[in-house]
Amino acid sequence: MRNAARMAAMLNIDVTKRLGDFSLNASFTSDSGVTALFGRSGSGKTTLVNAIAGLLRPERGVIEVDGECLYDSLRGIDVPVASRRVGYVFQEGRLFPHLTVRGNLSYGYRLTRADQRYVEFAHVVELLGLGGLLDRRPGNLSGGEKQRAAIGRALLASPRVLLMDEPLAALDQQLKAEILEYIERLHANIRIPIIYVTHAIEEIVRLADVVVIMAAGSVVTAGKVSDIMGRPELREQTGRFEGGTVIEAKVVSQDNEYGLATIAFNGGQLVIAAPDAGVGHEIRLRVRARDVSIALTRPPDISVLNVLSGRIVDIHAEGGPSANVRIDVGGVRLLARITRFSLQKLALSPGQQVYALVKAVSLDR
Amino acid sequence: MFMCPGCKLSSALYRFAAAATVLTLLSLHTVACAQNVSVFAAVSLNEALDAALVLFERPANMRVVPSYAASSALARQIQSGAPADVFISADTEWMDYLAERKLIDVATRSNLITNRLVLIAPAASSVQTEIRPGFGLSQMLGDGRLSVADPDSVPAGKYAKAALMTLGVWNSVERRLVRGENVRAALNFVARGEAPLGIVYRTDAYAEKKVRIVATFAPDTHRPIVYPAAMVAGSRAPAARQLLDFLRSQRARAVFEKHGFIAVR
Amino acid sequence: MVFLTPTEWEILALSVKVSLLSVLITLPVAVGVAALLARADFFGKSVVDALVHLPLVLPPVVIGYFLLLLLGRQGPIGALLDQYLGIVVAFRWTGAAIACGIMGFPLMVRAIRLSIESIDAGLEAAARTLGASRLRVFFTIMLPLALPGVITGVLLSFARGLGEFGATITFVSNIPGETRTLPLAIYSQTQMPNGDAEAMRLSIISIVLSVLALLTSEMLVRRAQRRSHGRDA
Repeated sequence: MRNAARMAAMLNIDVTKRLGDFSLNASFTSDSGVTALFGRSGSGKTTLVNAIAGLLRPERGVIEVDGECLYDSLRGIDVPVASRRVGYVFQEGRLFPHLTVRGNLSYGYRLTRADQRYVEFAHVVELLGLGGLLDRRPGNLSGGEKQRAAIGRALLASPRVLLMDEPLAALDQQLKAEILEYIERLHANIRIPIIYVTHAIEEIVRLADVVVIMAAGSVVTAGKVSDIMGRPELREQTGRFEGGTVIEAKVVSQDNEYGLATIAFNGGQLVIAAPDAGVGHEIRLRVRARDVSIALTRPPDISVLNVLSGRIVDIHAEGGPSANVRIDVGGVRLLARITRFSLQKLALSPGQQVYALVKAVSLDR
Repeated sequence: MFMCPGCKLSSALYRFAAAATVLTLLSLHTVACAQNVSVFAAVSLNEALDAALVLFERPANMRVVPSYAASSALARQIQSGAPADVFISADTEWMDYLAERKLIDVATRSNLITNRLVLIAPAASSVQTEIRPGFGLSQMLGDGRLSVADPDSVPAGKYAKAALMTLGVWNSVERRLVRGENVRAALNFVARGEAPLGIVYRTDAYAEKKVRIVATFAPDTHRPIVYPAAMVAGSRAPAARQLLDFLRSQRARAVFEKHGFIAVR
Repeated sequence: MVFLTPTEWEILALSVKVSLLSVLITLPVAVGVAALLARADFFGKSVVDALVHLPLVLPPVVIGYFLLLLLGRQGPIGALLDQYLGIVVAFRWTGAAIACGIMGFPLMVRAIRLSIESIDAGLEAAARTLGASRLRVFFTIMLPLALPGVITGVLLSFARGLGEFGATITFVSNIPGETRTLPLAIYSQTQMPNGDAEAMRLSIISIVLSVLALLTSEMLVRRAQRRSHGRDA
């Protein structure tokens, strides 16, 4: 079913495919820069991405990227892989072992027509810090270096859209942070749509504007990150998903002595451990529900630096010991997770004025 | 016997293997106990010897097993210890070769039959010529080759080389030969039309419908084509002597002559 | 001459020449067939696989016989070749090369196929997403990474060709200087009255040649593997 809204979207995906027992039936549109595909393993994310890349032929559907139709079962369109200009960064990197890094990087570059190129070799090398690695072979690279090279290789083919399939999954924590920064830099520098497959919330929070949640081969819901993330009822589909709030804020000031920064958002100000972004920069932050406490009065002599005044919007008590309380702080819905016992003891109810407490140290990126 | 818990297939397999082994050994034993006479004979004797052997009156448990190959190959096999009882060669040289090495019972040696050498062509060919000294054999070949048995070792080839040398045309065709590993191989190349001309025994040409005889080589262009027969030294088949006697008999001769050989009186 | 008589050099040179040609003509076909069997799925694939392995299990004489029937001057293909292209392979060293090529073909295909199958197909998919056509993927990714297998296949087939007897003697006969390769020469010597010494000499040459071929194969394969596994060679 095609309508005007879909035709204007940057990404219009509707794919049906059966693989053995598994049935993929996913559909979403997105106008944003970074679209995250989120879901448990086996939910069909990689299958969907493979279909977009053309490595898998759907049974029916439509795949439109940036105005170009790559696949349309009704019109009999199926652009071959090599002509789709879809950049794909694989989880394992898949660098060509018999070529140097330079050889890998230029592989797609050389196959791109000059008039279609929008990145240059030197630019990408500098962006991803690959200068010193150019004459090395993949066998001699570390995990992080391999991933950077893989990203560079995909970029240098001047793709219409960049597909990244859990690119950080095989890296340790420190490397993850490092590569994440490179990806952010990339996104800031080269404005092409990115489809980012992951099951890690932190990555979504940092990178994505739109998140598509998948389970058992279908799209459960899709929407802006800040909306979706605050919805505890999605926990079932997403497994390890944990309730929280995504806050978009701007860095107002920094305290170098104590390594802290103050950020301002719609609901007020928060003190957090200093991020890498400088004053004036926009950042995105997740506040986990479990890190938010509730008080009826402003507590004196307490270590918590962030005390925000707000009003309870609603309360969800799941079975079990905990309950989720949503608090409206200046228009931002903050989610707090407390025990049912405390709920009872403080006699909390919707409409009540309360204070939300968030420790500065729990707010890190 | 072998207990293999849970593998029924395996024990059935063992039983089968055991039975097969026993049966094989039994049959070998039978064969060994039977009186077998092994005859190594030049390949040109193929049909004639088979026909003669049919007439051979033999005791019930005796079998005559002929093996046909080039005389050179057979002599070398006997030298290496092959269990032959009787050897019939297509020339005297290979019989001498074995006699020198005391590998035949000289007392039993005698010449059986003789043969003639002919120039053949495929049946469909209409080529004509006379065999004279210096005749245009090389021109007749065109861009094809002359099919002979290997002149370095096989009797038929040696006779052919001798004849061509006597006639003074060997040099002109030496590099244009196809060397069969025995005279029948040479015959087959001509029969299939792969070679326009060949030199084989007259008896071979008689045996193969797909070739025709163009001309016969005069006997004085080569050594006499004689087939000696003898018992192999160390043969343990008492019936070998009987067989040799039979081969020299009138009845056997008649069969050989019917196939184109010339009996030695 | 050094160690060998002129005749022996001639026989050796002919053997090498015949084997080299046999490898040259079968290599492109073997690579194509191996790639097909390794990556493609099609109706009749197992039949193709069986056909490829036929020369391994059939008696060489049978192969030689069929070659004679087909490619002999009177054979259906041989007659056509002669008539239209003036090419005759019967009783020629080129015919010997064809016989060796066919006998060595399954060895070549097996080695190359194994090598291709061990390549991560994901690399080929990656190359395609970068804009490479299937043909380009074949030449820039598959072949270089399959090189160890190709080398093994070539040398195995070469060594097999050096030792080929049954098909050769049946198809192109035993013509000194033209088709009398090492094995045929050795055979001829064993048929002659006093050929044992020469047969032994030729046999030793044959062994030395085969060992050299196998050692070369080892060395080249190792070097190719180092390079294709990303270690700076």
